[in-house]
Amino acid sequence: MSSATTLSPSDSPAHDDHGHGGYRSLRFDWMASVDHKQIGVMYMVGALVFLVVAGVEALLMRVQLALPNNHFVSPLTFNQLFTMHGTSMVFLVGMPVLSGFQNYFVPLMVGARDVAFPRLNALAFWMFPLGGIMLNFSFLTGAAPEVGWFSYAPLSEKAFTSTLGPDYYTLGLLALGIGSVGSSFNIICTVLKLRAPGMSIQRIPLFAWMSFITSILTILALPALNAGLVMLTADRMLGADFFKASGGGDPIFWQHVFWVFGHPEVYILILPAFGMVSEVIPVFSRRPITGHGFIMVSSVAIALLGFGVWAHHMFVAGLGIWADAFFSVGTMLIAIPTGVKMFNWTSTMWRGRIKFSTAMLFCLGFLIVFACGGVSGVMLAVTPFDWAVSDSYFIIAHFHYVLIGGTVFGLFAGAYYWFPKITGRMLDEKLGRIHFWSTLVGFNMTFFVQHFLGLMGMPRRIYTYPDLPGWGELNLISTIGAFAMAIGTLPFVYNIIISNFRGKIAGDNPWNGWTLEWATTSPPPHHNFDLVPPIHGPRPLWDLAHPDDMDAKREPSPDEPPIKLHLNKVLMIFFISSEAMFFTMLISAYILFNHNPPDGPNATNALNIPRTWFFSICLFASSWTMHKAEHFLRAGNDRKFQGWLAATIVLGLTFVGGQGYEYAELFNEGINLGRNVFGSTFFTLTGFHGIHVFVGIVALAIFWGLGKCGENLKTVNRMESFEALGWYWHFVDVVWVLLFLMIYHPLGWITRLF
Amino acid sequence: MSSQAIFVLGLWNWTSPAWLAAGVASFLYLRSHRGRLTGMRPLLFAASLVAFLLATVSPIARLSNGYLFSVHMVHHILLLLVAPGLLLLSLDFEVVKGALQKSPVLSRVSAFCGKPLVGWAMGIGAMGFWHLPALCSASQEIPAVYHLQTLSLLFMGVAFWWPVSAAREQRLHPLQGVAYLFASCVACSLIGIYLTFSPVNVCPSFAHAADPLGLQGWIRNDLGITPQIDQQIGGLLMWVPACLIYMSGVFVLFHQWYTGSATAGLRTGEAAAHVASK
Repeated sequence: MSSATTLSPSDSPAHDDHGHGGYRSLRFDWMASVDHKQIGVMYMVGALVFLVVAGVEALLMRVQLALPNNHFVSPLTFNQLFTMHGTSMVFLVGMPVLSGFQNYFVPLMVGARDVAFPRLNALAFWMFPLGGIMLNFSFLTGAAPEVGWFSYAPLSEKAFTSTLGPDYYTLGLLALGIGSVGSSFNIICTVLKLRAPGMSIQRIPLFAWMSFITSILTILALPALNAGLVMLTADRMLGADFFKASGGGDPIFWQHVFWVFGHPEVYILILPAFGMVSEVIPVFSRRPITGHGFIMVSSVAIALLGFGVWAHHMFVAGLGIWADAFFSVGTMLIAIPTGVKMFNWTSTMWRGRIKFSTAMLFCLGFLIVFACGGVSGVMLAVTPFDWAVSDSYFIIAHFHYVLIGGTVFGLFAGAYYWFPKITGRMLDEKLGRIHFWSTLVGFNMTFFVQHFLGLMGMPRRIYTYPDLPGWGELNLISTIGAFAMAIGTLPFVYNIIISNFRGKIAGDNPWNGWTLEWATTSPPPHHNFDLVPPIHGPRPLWDLAHPDDMDAKREPSPDEPPIKLHLNKVLMIFFISSEAMFFTMLISAYILFNHNPPDGPNATNALNIPRTWFFSICLFASSWTMHKAEHFLRAGNDRKFQGWLAATIVLGLTFVGGQGYEYAELFNEGINLGRNVFGSTFFTLTGFHGIHVFVGIVALAIFWGLGKCGENLKTVNRMESFEALGWYWHFVDVVWVLLFLMIYHPLGWITRLF
Repeated sequence: MSSQAIFVLGLWNWTSPAWLAAGVASFLYLRSHRGRLTGMRPLLFAASLVAFLLATVSPIARLSNGYLFSVHMVHHILLLLVAPGLLLLSLDFEVVKGALQKSPVLSRVSAFCGKPLVGWAMGIGAMGFWHLPALCSASQEIPAVYHLQTLSLLFMGVAFWWPVSAAREQRLHPLQGVAYLFASCVACSLIGIYLTFSPVNVCPSFAHAADPLGLQGWIRNDLGITPQIDQQIGGLLMWVPACLIYMSGVFVLFHQWYTGSATAGLRTGEAAAHVASK
């Protein structure tokens, strides 16, 4: 499956020697492409387009705020600008551009021919323009989202925002969320299964490792947001009561759901940038990175701890002083693995022969600016301080120091470093330096003063402010800085365009890099590698050039046997984990709102337990029939396989039919999503479970149909796929066991019989 | 320090059978590990004993019985996670192997607990099971149930840590171990979140406990810990610090995996020292 040492060149007619239709022409084969490099480039170009849009939004805000009592834009427009700026920068710029780099370079770095599931990759990519255009289309309707990038309830509820803005937000983000998860499955499976021979996981380059960890974070965090968006959509469009205090729901619950996603999201945006910096600094310092292992392990620490500290975004939500205290400590702990990384990078440079290329300059900028953002982060972890500056410009300054100083500087470093590989031509260094210095100066001018504005009490998200001492001057400095930064980005865009046509020819390895992407041509051929060099450590090209001084001699890394599990099963494990997270959020909502049965219809008075027992037994039995079907497929008994598979489908359909009957009955009694909070939680939770069962039935029916048509299902791929599908089916069953016990209390019903 | 605080700090139970158990355990450990007490091992064993004694004879034990749900949670964490975890780390593989070979019963128990699902269910089940309202209250009101709880927590704690710390042949692959511990952290967090935000009184006996030591007024009025806040702190303890313990395990396993020492048999204590030396 993975690249053998020698790979045959592709004979695809759609590709030239360099594997692409060429970056100079936008040909139809780009749109139909499933090649990871083309998809990667499309991600990057798309993100650049949205960067311009979101950047203009930022400039408009800065113009409005340049002077006190200014009326350049209306309050409503200002609300739309900051909402769309934040949403776009996170979902349409940050995540896609990182996805682009990951798509392009992770397969190259691990020595693979492509990602694990190229078609899924294309689907995931096309969700990005779909979501992005949907979000921005809202401007044309005059109802762009206007309630902030985290869309806090109850403001985002219909009663308080009757425009379509939040609907564009929820639907656009759902599309983007599905795309991000799909793309992440690919990165995970590529790293786990498609590594070149000899590349144990311990030896994969740090950027690939960070991408892998980020992808795991994405598949676990995005479903939380998706669940929240589903609930918010249900509230807005179907009259449900999840986040409406008046209907028995809880607006604070939205904050929890959002930040369960939102905090890991910060790490989703920053970890790949850490990876880029960890690639660039060693190459331009001509030294191997210090503490390769520490960086690997500590990024896992950051990722896992990142899931446990979301409540620090809610210090002012009134969780109670004890909760604040615990999360304050948790947040400070997470700063440790991040802080130590700074020493990894600086000590790599120590005694190195540093070459101050533009990529390296951006890394140095990253170290300084990100450290400031990290320190203000630790300040904010101190609850009383957070209380004082919450929702002020201090917060704006902090997260821009983290996200621009961290992510964007890292990305620029990565862009200058890898552009030669993508296009085969070098970016102009002189323009690069102008870009770096204007960005560094402009950035600090814009955001450093905002710390003081925050401490002086200027709240975020106000469209104008009175002429208080100092406010006007500091805001003006900030606006000038923003324009300096924007103007400084122009040389970069110009550089990309001009260098793509007329840049110096790069050659295969212009920086003398050590990782596998530099072992192939620039740009790489469609099949990536003709020959993958032998791999004994994290720097295969160094080892190749210095057989007497191989890394393995100084710091041996273990040979790990490849993972035996079939690719489809690896995917299924992560898919199920992701789905489990989605259900966890919906289940939490159910428990939260039905713990004390709400007035009106509720689980104790509205549900028919004996009938559900029957349908549930059908579903549980289908797990057994599925197991039998798997057994007979392996045993080669086609007739019995078809029979047991048909039984599974019939049992599944019986369950779905029973659920449909139950719904019809409840609807007749006037119990629906909008009736009360029981209706909202019950129908959303069981409905999504029903959809999962139905999707499973469709997949089973496809197998059944293939079998009926006389297709050979006994190939390894198909058998493994069928077993992976079986895992999905059992997972759906297990979820129902939980839901059945939790919602219907069937055991209580049995005891009442006696 | 207030007079009540001084009084509470003096609430050591000098006549508890736990002292005897600790003595016997020390004797058995020293005898079985003669000549093998190298590196971090004796320290880990001592730490495990301290955790056990803190949970059983110290003021924590006294306050966890009928006074504070949050302290009761500390008691649980010490017995379920800290003491068994440290104990297993302090053991020498060869000694364990010898013991298992000698005793078929022990070997069967070890094989059973080595099944990750069993160990996981015991470790997480113990947390959930003893917090069902009826059982939680029973453990407070009936001394025999309390002792049973203490023993079962210790046993289940050993069963929980066994799949990730047993001898090489029985142990999970480090990355599987990471998934094992991460799943535990998630499950524990969910129970903790439930306790933190639940309006339901999970352990009613704490809210209406008899007050033989006359401390209720001090706790409720001076410290300001109402039963609701008490439960919230308990939930938070289960959510955050308990999870951090699992996470520490994750980091140790990751380190072992990275250096390949999981296959070379490097023990955690040495791994930690290795990290420190870096």
